[in-house]
Amino acid sequence: MRIYNRLIISLAIALSSVNIFLAFLGQDDISIYFIVNAIVYLIITLLYVYLNPRAKFALNSLSAIIFVAFLAVVTMEVIEILK
Amino acid sequence: MKNPYKVLGIILSIAGAVLAPVFYFFFLSAPLTAVALSAVIIGLASFFLANSRPNISPEACQILLKTGMENTAALLEEIGIRNKAIYLPARMRDGYPQAIVPINDHYTLDNIKDKLPGRLIVRYGPGADDMAIAVTTPGSINLEMLEHIPGPNAYDIESAISYILTGVLDIANSVKVDITGSRVNVEIKNAKMGYEEIWYYYCLGSPLASIAAAISSEALQKPVRIFEEKEQAGKYRIVLEVLA
Repeated sequence: MRIYNRLIISLAIALSSVNIFLAFLGQDDISIYFIVNAIVYLIITLLYVYLNPRAKFALNSLSAIIFVAFLAVVTMEVIEILK
Repeated sequence: MKNPYKVLGIILSIAGAVLAPVFYFFFLSAPLTAVALSAVIIGLASFFLANSRPNISPEACQILLKTGMENTAALLEEIGIRNKAIYLPARMRDGYPQAIVPINDHYTLDNIKDKLPGRLIVRYGPGADDMAIAVTTPGSINLEMLEHIPGPNAYDIESAISYILTGVLDIANSVKVDITGSRVNVEIKNAKMGYEEIWYYYCLGSPLASIAAAISSEALQKPVRIFEEKEQAGKYRIVLEVLA
């Protein structure tokens, strides 16, 4: 199996498991789902250290976008708590 | 559009982007919205990966590899050399890693020179018979793809071989390396290239063994010879001999 296939399958399994687990816990806040999904994505892409430089650069670009969105959601949550 | 990663990426991203607001505003369901968001993340990852695939097809790469191999094999066969190649670190070949195949059957490497001239036929020792043919191998070329030269330990060698075979070339699933005395044992899982009974593989080793030997030689900064390579219980085992 190609390393790209393994990465996509790992992401699909991990993100689905996280969503099922949070739904099972009765979580109803979409920002919590997004934060946990973003963390799982960042961890899994970090684990694939043996990808070629072009693939690593592509995934790092996407990680940067997700990380910015993650920071925005966390900031909004913090502001909500401080109110 | 032939690239399956691009197709998967576009389908998942568009489906996720359309379904997320539908689930959130009409169905008022956070878990379903999260599933749509996950689809967007996986879709974008797949789409980004699609653009990082090489433009040259595997068939074209195979033609280039086979052409080089046939030419080298023809040269070795013509001269009648049946000795195993010795992989040299870059510092011994003017900064360019290559392998030498000794012409004489009863050769010794006790007095191998520190620096060999960058020619096809080289004298590697003080004796009149210490002549060899220097060739570029698949392993030599792959060393240029490493981000840094690995250190002289099993962990660094394993990381470098894994990076080339799994990440860059995608011809194996995982690699395990251990060093015992003057032997480097390399175990490759799910290798997509094997050993063939041909002259080229006998002298220079299979492409997998050649890559392992070139990386080990560069990491240890010593000449390395492929001692043995075989497929056993789904694993490809390579034993390299480090020459002092």
